[in-house]
Amino acid sequence: MSFKRRDVLKAAAAGALAAGLPLPLRAQGAGNLRFGLAMPLTGSQSAYGKDQVTGAQWAVEDINAKGGVQGRKLEMIVLDTQADPQVGINAVNRLISVEKVPVFITAWSAVVKAVAPIANREKVLELSVGASSPDVATLGDYVYTTFPLADVDVTAVARYAYQKLGKKTAAVLYINNDTGVDAAKVYREAFEKAGGKVTVYEAYDPKATDYSGMLLKLRASNAEMVHIHGLITDIPQVIAQMRQLGLKQRVSTYSAGYNPIIVKQLGAAAEGLIVTSLAPGANDRPQVKAYIERWRSKEGRVPNGLPYTQYLYDAPVMVAQMYDWLLKQKLAVNGENMRKALLGVKRFELPMTGVTEVDATHRVKKPVYLLTVEKGNFVPLATVS
Amino acid sequence: MFDPAVLAQILWTGLATSSYMVLFTIAFSLVLKVMKLWNFAQAGMMAIAFYAMYAAVNRFAWPTAAAVVFGLAVTLAATLAFEIWGLRTLRARRSSSLLFFIFTLVCSEFAAYVLTLVFGTEPVTLFPEILSPVRVIGQIAVSDWDLLGVGVTLALGIALALYLRFSRDGQFVLAVSDNAELAELYGIDAKRVYLVAFSIATVFVCAGMYLYGSRTAVIPTAPLQLMLFAVIATLLGGMGSVLGGALAAVGLSLLQSYSVLFIPSQWQGLILYVFLFVTILFFPGGVRRGFKAA
Amino acid sequence: MEYVYSILILVGIYVVLASSFNLIIGTAGLVSIAHPIFFALGAYTSGLLAIHFGLNPIAGTLAGAAVAGVFSLMISLPSLRVSGDYLLITSIGFQLGLLQVIKNLELTGSQGGLSNIPTPIAGPERGWIFSLVALAAGAATVLLIRWIVRGPYGRAISAMRDDELAFVALGRDATRIKIVIFAVGSALAGIAGGIYAFYFQYLSPEQFEILASGTMLTMVVVGGMGSTWGPVVGAVLLLALPQAITFLRLPLSYMAPLQGMIFTLLVILFLFLRPQGLVAPEAPAPLRHKKQ
Repeated sequence: MSFKRRDVLKAAAAGALAAGLPLPLRAQGAGNLRFGLAMPLTGSQSAYGKDQVTGAQWAVEDINAKGGVQGRKLEMIVLDTQADPQVGINAVNRLISVEKVPVFITAWSAVVKAVAPIANREKVLELSVGASSPDVATLGDYVYTTFPLADVDVTAVARYAYQKLGKKTAAVLYINNDTGVDAAKVYREAFEKAGGKVTVYEAYDPKATDYSGMLLKLRASNAEMVHIHGLITDIPQVIAQMRQLGLKQRVSTYSAGYNPIIVKQLGAAAEGLIVTSLAPGANDRPQVKAYIERWRSKEGRVPNGLPYTQYLYDAPVMVAQMYDWLLKQKLAVNGENMRKALLGVKRFELPMTGVTEVDATHRVKKPVYLLTVEKGNFVPLATVS
Repeated sequence: MFDPAVLAQILWTGLATSSYMVLFTIAFSLVLKVMKLWNFAQAGMMAIAFYAMYAAVNRFAWPTAAAVVFGLAVTLAATLAFEIWGLRTLRARRSSSLLFFIFTLVCSEFAAYVLTLVFGTEPVTLFPEILSPVRVIGQIAVSDWDLLGVGVTLALGIALALYLRFSRDGQFVLAVSDNAELAELYGIDAKRVYLVAFSIATVFVCAGMYLYGSRTAVIPTAPLQLMLFAVIATLLGGMGSVLGGALAAVGLSLLQSYSVLFIPSQWQGLILYVFLFVTILFFPGGVRRGFKAA
Repeated sequence: MEYVYSILILVGIYVVLASSFNLIIGTAGLVSIAHPIFFALGAYTSGLLAIHFGLNPIAGTLAGAAVAGVFSLMISLPSLRVSGDYLLITSIGFQLGLLQVIKNLELTGSQGGLSNIPTPIAGPERGWIFSLVALAAGAATVLLIRWIVRGPYGRAISAMRDDELAFVALGRDATRIKIVIFAVGSALAGIAGGIYAFYFQYLSPEQFEILASGTMLTMVVVGGMGSTWGPVVGAVLLLALPQAITFLRLPLSYMAPLQGMIFTLLVILFLFLRPQGLVAPEAPAPLRHKKQ
């Protein structure tokens, strides 16, 4: 997830060094198997960040309740990044030099990129869970993603439009930041490779509110499918203005659109919207059903960005499996060996997202779940492996 | 692409979308004209106005009219407090423009932090749904929101013009804008006029945020960006001219809307600043004054 | 330890920034708030030169400073025609406009920022070497500016600030002073940028927005505009304060906005209770700018 809507008012100096207090999940004693989690606990992305942290915390609790890893407890140290690169750098510095973790989990492309040099330099394993920018695969030896990068789901939805929906021409409208720019390229490549033609390829400024010029270009082009790659703050506005200008094409977007807010804001105009999800739903895996129930009973709601929280639940499970391998191999606990463990285990069976295979390409391939809005609800449309 | 229907549609939608920008520019411009103050606290006013109305509609479940009145009341209270306890003190001390800049900016920041604390940073719209009914006139799609925007802007703009021109208070406002010390000599209370100016600005700010927030999602820090547009439009329109600012706001909005036909959309944001720079260099008094002088 | 080093480095960098900013707005009275963009120019230039040409950090930083100095002409030239409030807005426009360009160029990494700037030093010495460099740069900047201000050139600058008309009537060249001051101040900011780029190895355009201007401005004003040590005090205080607030053990969800509120509230209090700043200016002329 690469939400770029930054909280402008982070007060550069104030934000720069505000890496909150570490929240260790201390199960008593030394001998704990430690790792770090750097997430936005405050700031504009905190609604998503906090829920993701909750998912991870539940995983740690569950693992420790079952006896931990070879009798030793997992200990997760949580620090705030505010989804801001500078704050993230500070948080990771603390995790590495003060808390001395051999591996840490983080998200949000800007933070993932900003702390990559530190991870590589200090030889500490960085697991990016949720950032989708394709750059993440090239950030260095110690940076691995457990979340599929943009090319996976965008390619799937592009191919689906051509092959299954029979759309021969498409328009790509994307937000002018690195999430949008990268994803738009992926869509165009995939759609044209499948045999279609992209007739409109327009970027819009993140701060724009009037898309009529761009949409009129769209109207003039008669593209059959429209793919919008933006943020949850602008995707509904673009669709709304599309419909108001009389444009009736079917719209697709990526996982950022998989959010009930869109349906609320658009009402009937949301019908037919295609979104992607990179995590199995309640109908695909019983563990996910139970997980959602757990949210309902403990928090009284569904988590923000459900699929991302699923990946965050699985992340400590991966770390536990890595520690297991490490201990079995009788290797010292440090970043270098953690990285060996990651590549050594290679194939992880994870409760909420299924099988994840990690390799030297620094990427993972997962099935893409396509959903669509029908009568105001998201219903499964197809699954693409 | 240069089909008249398309051009006409862009014109209409561009005009309608410029409505809230015009309102923000008028507010900013008026305060500048009357008080010679670059009111960077307007971002704070805008944020407070929106969230007050948002709370009224969504948390207290009040009808729209009551929500708007509530928004006006809360923003007015905050603005007047700001003027009375803040600006008056700085003015009495003859503080420099830098100090005023920091003070007004920091007040906006403070307001944003308070609102973040209370409302969080999830983007929200004023009403749950952002679409309004659309009708097609000629070949142009005209939505209810468009009509509201244009209507409210014209109504408030004309009301302000009439007020300034024909009412006694309005004349006092103009007198103080022209020369505050001289006006005081004639018995006009400059302090009261400042309060009046801020009150008018509040009305425009609330109207603008109502329009903006019913169409786009807002976060506590969004008004800062919107306000920058108003600043640039004010400058382009000539610093003593509210009408100039309003026209500049319309012009800039239309420029941005039409520009997508000529330049890649990612450069749209830059246009504003290019214009700003060109203006400063060649028309330091504002474009209108520049042309008059030429 | 890395953590402590990064704070020391930031202190060094911000002392350079605050002092050079003070030179422009406090000593010379030129109302520009575009300082962050020169910081950005220095950082991006040195970063890009290192990435694409492998240029070593010292040369890169100097190149960054030069670029910043040259770009400063885009502010100093308009400042010859306009002043006061007008210059303030021009500088905002310049800063945001240039940022917009940076955000749209693939060369500079556009909105995602410039990453993977190569580091000249690896290994455990990195932290303390960079700290030394940053703090030394801070000290050097302060001393340089002190030297400028105390000398005859400094008196000319104050005279120009206090009454430009009289200054020009006496046959002095205000234009040259303005251009030189802007260039020197901006070049120093460029140096700070170079240090930042090589230590943190990642630049994001968001760091250089209006709020960065507000922060630097606050450092100067709260510290004491027009004084030599004022900006130093301001920089240290404004970097240390958020850390101090962290120790108040506020509930995490509210930490950032509460921190922001305490911070801005303190600034407001300062503006009212001690507008001249913590360190009074040493210059004999009172630091009361007449409203223009």
